[in-house]
Amino acid sequence: MGTGNSNLADQRVSDRMGTQTEVQFVKSVCLPLLRSTQNPDGGWGFHPGSESRLEPTCWALQALLQWSWPEIPEAAVHGFQFVREAQLRNGAWPSARAEQVGCWVTALACWVLLAEKNSSNAVAMGLDWLCKDWPQDSTLWRRFLARFSSQRHIFPINNSYRGWGWTPGTSSWVEPTAFALLAFGECPAELLPPTAARRRKLAEAMLRDRMCPGGGWNCGNPLVYGVAGEPLIIPTAWALLALRNQPERRENVLSLEWLEKNVANIQGPGSFALARLCLESYSRKWPDDAPGLRSFHQKNEFLNNIQVAAWSCLALSAKRPFLPVGLPSGKTS
Amino acid sequence: MNARNAALVPSFQRPLSKVFIRRAANYEQELASLIYESLLEFKLPMKDKTVLLKPNLVGLDPLGVMNTHPAVVAAAREAFFRLGASQVLIGDGPAMDRDTEAVIESVRLREFAGPLARTFVDLNVDDMERVPLKTHASRLKELYLPKTALGVDFLVSMPKLKTHHWAGVTLSLKNMFGIVPGSCYGWPKNVLHWAGIDRAILDINAVARPDFAIVDGIIGMEGNGPIQGTPKACGVLVLGDDPVAVDATCCRVMGLIPQQVKYLARAGTLLGHVEASKIQQLGERIEGVKAPFAVLPEFRQLVA
Repeated sequence: MGTGNSNLADQRVSDRMGTQTEVQFVKSVCLPLLRSTQNPDGGWGFHPGSESRLEPTCWALQALLQWSWPEIPEAAVHGFQFVREAQLRNGAWPSARAEQVGCWVTALACWVLLAEKNSSNAVAMGLDWLCKDWPQDSTLWRRFLARFSSQRHIFPINNSYRGWGWTPGTSSWVEPTAFALLAFGECPAELLPPTAARRRKLAEAMLRDRMCPGGGWNCGNPLVYGVAGEPLIIPTAWALLALRNQPERRENVLSLEWLEKNVANIQGPGSFALARLCLESYSRKWPDDAPGLRSFHQKNEFLNNIQVAAWSCLALSAKRPFLPVGLPSGKTS
Repeated sequence: MNARNAALVPSFQRPLSKVFIRRAANYEQELASLIYESLLEFKLPMKDKTVLLKPNLVGLDPLGVMNTHPAVVAAAREAFFRLGASQVLIGDGPAMDRDTEAVIESVRLREFAGPLARTFVDLNVDDMERVPLKTHASRLKELYLPKTALGVDFLVSMPKLKTHHWAGVTLSLKNMFGIVPGSCYGWPKNVLHWAGIDRAILDINAVARPDFAIVDGIIGMEGNGPIQGTPKACGVLVLGDDPVAVDATCCRVMGLIPQQVKYLARAGTLLGHVEASKIQQLGERIEGVKAPFAVLPEFRQLVA
């Protein structure tokens, strides 16, 4: 782990003194939930008592690391072991250990293992798999066929841009592309495969191409049958975080405006946490009239979703911002 | 043995299916009794059973026409309790928005069905079980499916009456896409599109065939469904213990030819009845409630 940019971090904490109630909620509800629900195998399920899965494990680890920084807690060491052992021989990670096919969680696994000094080889293998995992909707053959398709007007997107799919052999989508970009962006140069730079460039272009007409992103369909797709909070937040190295670009500015306008209408705690994380990263003021985590929890107890608790911890980490804009790497200065 | 473990039965060996069409003018009327009385016709052995209601929760729905209306879901829940069920869960795995809680709040499900923390199952993030496929209609060999959907005693598909820009219509069979977990296959569940939507519908329903279907046709959606279509008042609930027959009947209500819907025609050979002569129609006559739905030009061959 890096030493952090302490001055910037202190300033951010100071800026967020008004959010102490929220921080207190995270400390009293979300963090204890994470600490009490780790399975004996070192992983976390989506719910207390459910089987360990890669995605909630990665987010729980990120949250615990964020809150214990610069220390690495014992729970995280155990969690790293779960993640390492779940890696497939080809370098990818499956969403559940019983599966034999890797998928988008590979990016999350690589990202979180960057915090563990003995995992460099596993990370390099994972990133190499990501670089070799091309979506199938944009192969030369598919693009050729698409020119003659009677349905080419349905999804008017530029297929020469290529990101990542949720599963191998499918299409590019916003969130898995954002996760891969975040993993590459956090990774030290010596672990990056030679083709990483090209993949990142194509993926960033793909994200910008998929932005909804008025800003923001949905899963990746900006227009369907000529009708503008509605943006959603979560893909918008991840896309903005993945593209945060160019905050002045039109797509970022438009999408940040969309996100800020829609904060007051957020109806789920997962969206709330990621919107907050994103706006904090861009140093945008959190609206005073926005709903609070506690009120979400009172409604449905987050549907007992551990991952939502982890995102809440990341959004309100007291010690330092997660994924700040303006630093060459999100975690090290 | 529930339907999910049963062997596939060719349609020519199946007895007549019963489908009940009930008029329901709006969502404000007393729907629980209406559904309860309809369910009595089917003599369902529900005592001490665990039921999962699987509505169609697609995403944020400002016009209130995209998702199964919460009044219908809550009414069905009450009706199954009245029949003696010990537990009636509600579950879905929205396909486009991974913030399931935002979706259920936006459709006001809690307002109608009460506290959801222990009632609602987010099927996108449920524990999963590997299920070898029976039909191999698509190139998929297996799917990981949520243990809750596979393990309940009684699974009820509760779709909205809608057109669909890829499949033609989305009813109780297509609604089962929602049990495929996003935590494994993503948002949207794109692997199913690549496998072929029509074929994947067959594969999923052959291993997770709903025991019953209740279609919310009070207000449906026509045109560019399932998300960007136009509200279509139809004023019916359609219920039955054969989801294929229910969907075929819904098509007829929509003024569409069920045999022209690719997946429905194929489902009619193995999963249930499409032919009108094999369906015992209860309640309203189809002609009395028919409300022709507009379809996209690509689907004009569906129009009767």
